[in-house]
Amino acid sequence: MSAMPLTGRHRRWDIAAVLARWLLGGLFLQMGLSKALDPVDFLKLVREYDLTQHPLLLNGIAAALPWFEVFCGVLLLAGVAVRGSALMLVAMLVPFTWVVFQRALALQADLGIPFCEVKFDCGCGAGEVYICRKLVENGLLILFSAWLLMGWGRRLCARYALMKSGPEN
Amino acid sequence: MAIVGAAIAFAANAVSPRGLVLARNYFPTAVQVAGPAPAASPAQPGPAETNAVGAAPAPPVAESLDAESLQRADIDQAAALFRDPRYQAELVVFIDARDEAQYREGHVPGAYQFDHYRPEKQLATVLHVCQLAEQIVVYCTGGDCEDSEFAALALIGVGIPKERFFIYVGGMSEWAAQGLPVEIGERNSGNIGNAEP
Repeated sequence: MSAMPLTGRHRRWDIAAVLARWLLGGLFLQMGLSKALDPVDFLKLVREYDLTQHPLLLNGIAAALPWFEVFCGVLLLAGVAVRGSALMLVAMLVPFTWVVFQRALALQADLGIPFCEVKFDCGCGAGEVYICRKLVENGLLILFSAWLLMGWGRRLCARYALMKSGPEN
Repeated sequence: MAIVGAAIAFAANAVSPRGLVLARNYFPTAVQVAGPAPAASPAQPGPAETNAVGAAPAPPVAESLDAESLQRADIDQAAALFRDPRYQAELVVFIDARDEAQYREGHVPGAYQFDHYRPEKQLATVLHVCQLAEQIVVYCTGGDCEDSEFAALALIGVGIPKERFFIYVGGMSEWAAQGLPVEIGERNSGNIGNAEP
């Protein structure tokens, strides 16, 4: 997409992709900061996923993940290394969505309620949420990230690709 | 890019005043219960921790306390210790294991705050008080909250005899729901009122 001149339709899509980039960047910045400023709460939530009981790994995830989200959010907002940042988001969102789904299934079994009525604090930085809504949100975020990964949303970028130089960057 | 991001993230955690200490075990139970208690609520009206109020302790908490040989106190025992004349002489002590914001929203009158996740500010005071106390009641929110257990274990770890401790499992939710006195703000603020635990 980068080499071809943008037609009017492409231009509109690219503007939409820029908006998606800002939305993603803003969301990750906000969610990351909310967790980074209260890492103990996030640590407790991470522990509930039962991914590991090893203190160092548990602390490492809870300590680094929020700031990593902030890092990716800032890069997306500024338009720096956009595809790399989008790849990082996909790499975080896909497994995270999977473990949230698994935990929701376990809670559904424990509580004996319909799946979409399961509500819990998934550690996303937004407090308690209904699982179906969360899965739809995450699905959209993954789609937006994949869209940026395909090369869209390069307008108004400070430096679209770190490793390349030239007029597009 | 992932490496750079991770390096920045760990550096940010290291310089953040609220950052985590990577090598520390924040959940110092000797036993690993079979998965943490569900911190979820079905979609129904009411506060998120409704199931904590007046409920029997969640099995993992009870199991964990038993495994640690920590004594449990129910609402009657906790209230009796609160009314015990020794409470005024600080021979019976209440420890609130929640964070500062929750503590200020409402705590057992005269209770000391000890957030074991961030013990630096309170440890010296609480340690001194616990050394002189005969009985120590530790509580947190209640329900599946484990912070009272962790706080007790942290204090046991620095030399306070285990037999002095009672974990009030019902916690602040049950205490407030039973209409027992709640102090708002700082310790001994004298502001006794209704809390929203």
